[in-house]
Amino acid sequence: MLKLLKNLIKEPMFVIGSFLFLTTILLGLLGPSLYTAVPEGGPYEAPSAAYWLGTDNLGEDYVALLLRGLQNSLYVGFMAGIIATTIGTLVGLFAGFKGGIVDDILNMFTNLFIVIPSFVVLVLVSASWPEGRSLTLIAVLIGFTTWPWTARSVRAQATSLRGRDHISLARINGASNLQIIFKHILPYLASYVFMVFIMQVASGILSESAISMIGLGPIGEGSTSLGVILNTAKNQSAITYGYWWGIFPAAIVITVIVFALYLLNNSMEGVFNPRLRK
Amino acid sequence: MLKKYPTTRYVLLRAIWYFLTFLVALSLNFFLPRLGSDPVDIMMAQSSFSSPEIRKQTEENLRKDFGLIIVDKQGDIVRDEKGNAVKASKLSQLLNYVGQVFQGDLGTSFRNQKPVSDIIMQALPWTIALQFPAILFGWIFGNSLGALAAYKRGIFDKALFPMALLMSSVPFFVFGMVLVYFFGIVWEVFPAVGAYSLELTPNFSFEFLSSVAYHYVLPFLSIFLILAGGQAIGMRSMGIYELGTDYIKYAKWLGLKETRVLAYLFRNAMLPQLTGLALSIGQMVGGALITEMIFSYPGLGMAMLTAIQNNDYPVIQGVTLLITTCVLLANFTVDILIALLDPRVKQSLAMDAK
Amino acid sequence: MSHILEVKDLSLHYLTRFGQKIHAVTDVSFTMKQGEILGIAGESGCGKSTLVNGLMGLFIPPLYPTGGEVMVNGESLMNRTPQDVRRNILSQKVSMIPQGAFNALNPTRKIKDIAADVIAAHSEAHKLSKPEIYARLKERFDLFGMETEHILNSYPIQLTAGERQRSVIGISTLLNPKVVIADEPTSALDVTTQKVVIKMIFDLLEKNIFSTMIFITHELPLLRHVAHNIAIMYAGEFVEYGTATQVVHDPRHPYTKALMGAMLSADAGQKNRKPTTIEGAPPSLAKSIKGCRFAERCPSARPECKEKDQHMRTVGERLVRCDYAE
Repeated sequence: MLKLLKNLIKEPMFVIGSFLFLTTILLGLLGPSLYTAVPEGGPYEAPSAAYWLGTDNLGEDYVALLLRGLQNSLYVGFMAGIIATTIGTLVGLFAGFKGGIVDDILNMFTNLFIVIPSFVVLVLVSASWPEGRSLTLIAVLIGFTTWPWTARSVRAQATSLRGRDHISLARINGASNLQIIFKHILPYLASYVFMVFIMQVASGILSESAISMIGLGPIGEGSTSLGVILNTAKNQSAITYGYWWGIFPAAIVITVIVFALYLLNNSMEGVFNPRLRK
Repeated sequence: MLKKYPTTRYVLLRAIWYFLTFLVALSLNFFLPRLGSDPVDIMMAQSSFSSPEIRKQTEENLRKDFGLIIVDKQGDIVRDEKGNAVKASKLSQLLNYVGQVFQGDLGTSFRNQKPVSDIIMQALPWTIALQFPAILFGWIFGNSLGALAAYKRGIFDKALFPMALLMSSVPFFVFGMVLVYFFGIVWEVFPAVGAYSLELTPNFSFEFLSSVAYHYVLPFLSIFLILAGGQAIGMRSMGIYELGTDYIKYAKWLGLKETRVLAYLFRNAMLPQLTGLALSIGQMVGGALITEMIFSYPGLGMAMLTAIQNNDYPVIQGVTLLITTCVLLANFTVDILIALLDPRVKQSLAMDAK
Repeated sequence: MSHILEVKDLSLHYLTRFGQKIHAVTDVSFTMKQGEILGIAGESGCGKSTLVNGLMGLFIPPLYPTGGEVMVNGESLMNRTPQDVRRNILSQKVSMIPQGAFNALNPTRKIKDIAADVIAAHSEAHKLSKPEIYARLKERFDLFGMETEHILNSYPIQLTAGERQRSVIGISTLLNPKVVIADEPTSALDVTTQKVVIKMIFDLLEKNIFSTMIFITHELPLLRHVAHNIAIMYAGEFVEYGTATQVVHDPRHPYTKALMGAMLSADAGQKNRKPTTIEGAPPSLAKSIKGCRFAERCPSARPECKEKDQHMRTVGERLVRCDYAE
């Protein structure tokens, strides 16, 4: 484990990725409470000394908005990631380990929800919830529509582990299925599941911004996410009027978080799967 | 059954599976919008009426359109003793919906009373013309680039890979916004919105078609480039994996030409990428629809956005159903393609049939 | 009579990412005559695979030649560009029969297409038409006593293990190479198929389709039946080199003796003998080693063994890298 960490620290991708990621996490966690609100200005004021990133259509300071948006987007991403990874890992483990009819049924479900676009499901449910779409609801929805990806990849890994000697040995020694799954298979997959989790967080953040973009994101006081900021700017035709600060800072923040997560995932893949390295 | 024709048997089995999946999707399409609030209540809340009678009349018509109340053979509303409409059970609602869908009846738009199928048929050609080439060429371009990056590694790979990774971190639609801002607004090289100049009426004149081509560039690029970035990353990993395999080593030992080894690599790494395409085509289409919205492109994305803004449920449901259907068809096609292209899959099909 | 293959003091090393040199092969010398089969045996990691790359002139970073010479028919393989090696050496002068024929064949290509690729890759000057190539393939594969049409028109997955292995041998010897290197060509096969494959190899050698063969394996008992001469490799060096009978039945180097003890115990007719294992592991090749490389594990090591470098010397009509062997 220590050796893996040592190898990771040698990877520039890992170093850059974790730096970016920790920075965004800190900004998201502490930013909104540390950055005291600037008084309201006029609508779409250009960036200046008073408003570093300008103001939005209501004259609110974009820096304050972005920090809150970052916090909320991270919340949705992590929440959706945890839900999707938990469901997906459990389904994948049981399918891959049990094999036979259990595998067939679980696999059918997984494939079913992979081919039915999760985007469509998100749209349909969100549209039927015109009031009180909280951040949590959006996160839960995303989590419940993206787990099949995790299930699929975890299943493949668990299937390959099933035939290993130490598993057969545990079975001979009378370990129950649950014991085998949690004691002998899950630990082997821990690094893998963690990597999947990182990808799920990234896709959660992206999904939230996408669903917000079509006007089906979280609504209500205090639930401004990065996607909602972008959607408001789009609805106000900020691009057409050349108010770039309404779009680009939020877009860059999303890109940076997702890029950081991708970097982390890729560098870990390189260390855990040496073949990818040169 | 059909033991002698394993491929035909496979195609049939897949067709059955996809049909069942379609039925599930259809049920979801029916039930999900009813999960939160009653769509009719929402629509009613948005409108004002001159008299309670008209209000009641409108509400009953809506409920009838949605199949929420029972109608007799003449299409008249069935009423109980008090004159209230009789509610249909969820199951009969579903059956009614499925029956209508199979007859091509997707309901009527709440907003402008047009049949939903008309609205969709108007939007669909634009979406297909935009997305199909963008996804296809993006896939081919991205995979070629990824295979090359895997084969060459070194500096080419080092520069290309983080670029592609960064590209795929940008939300699908943001890339469109960036293109609109710079090429459409700041430099004014390409039109920022629409599919053709609004001064023109759609026909097959050269003027109109060139306007369409001119408006096509930015939305096409924003889908094409993002997709290519994602595919390049996947192909690079697959390619590196295939490079380590024995058959590539053997091909090199035999002194095969470099282009030939690269062809081996591309061909075989492409097969899992094709599966990947099948699995992610739903996400891609979703992302591409949002891109359409950014460009106000008159396709399904725009139709859906308008419907969402107006709580126009019949249209939302119609569009989502069509998207699901297209995605399922695309998946089915890719499944069949893989079976035809990969002798290993073919062989295992022959074994399964025995 | 001139030698087909001449290897003189060949040393090879890898350069790691951190600039460290790993001396995988050190001072290997031997020669091969027309029709000769040389067996090379040793534990995994002893440098066999690296030596194979050297013998093909394939110096692809991080592998580099440290020194020495490899000549095929009097032509040197050293200091050539990879492009030159690909065009003029591989398949034509030196060819390889890899381990595990199943994975070696491109799964999505028919046998005839893989074979045609080989011909196409080495006839760039005078391009052959498809029917010409196919006629050549048919003529060659007919020699193997198999259903030629079936084999050529099949994908690898449609063939049996034996058919695949013979296809690989057919493809590797298509251009009548001078030297064929076979890496465990029979390890994944059942005994009957093994015999068929060995017979095929002898056949091709007799018909002069290739001139010499280097047979790499860790199965000494098999080598005894196949090879004329045997070289035993340890930690990148040849430690014993002699005729098959000499090396197998009358080993002189302590390592060969230990190896025979470990291997013959698994051979039929030796059931009563207890299997012996060699304690310890080969030395790391990243550092320069003083003295005999086997000294740490040698049952008859003397104190001076760890100090004094060992060189090949003649003991009982064969070469042994041990000053104290008798």
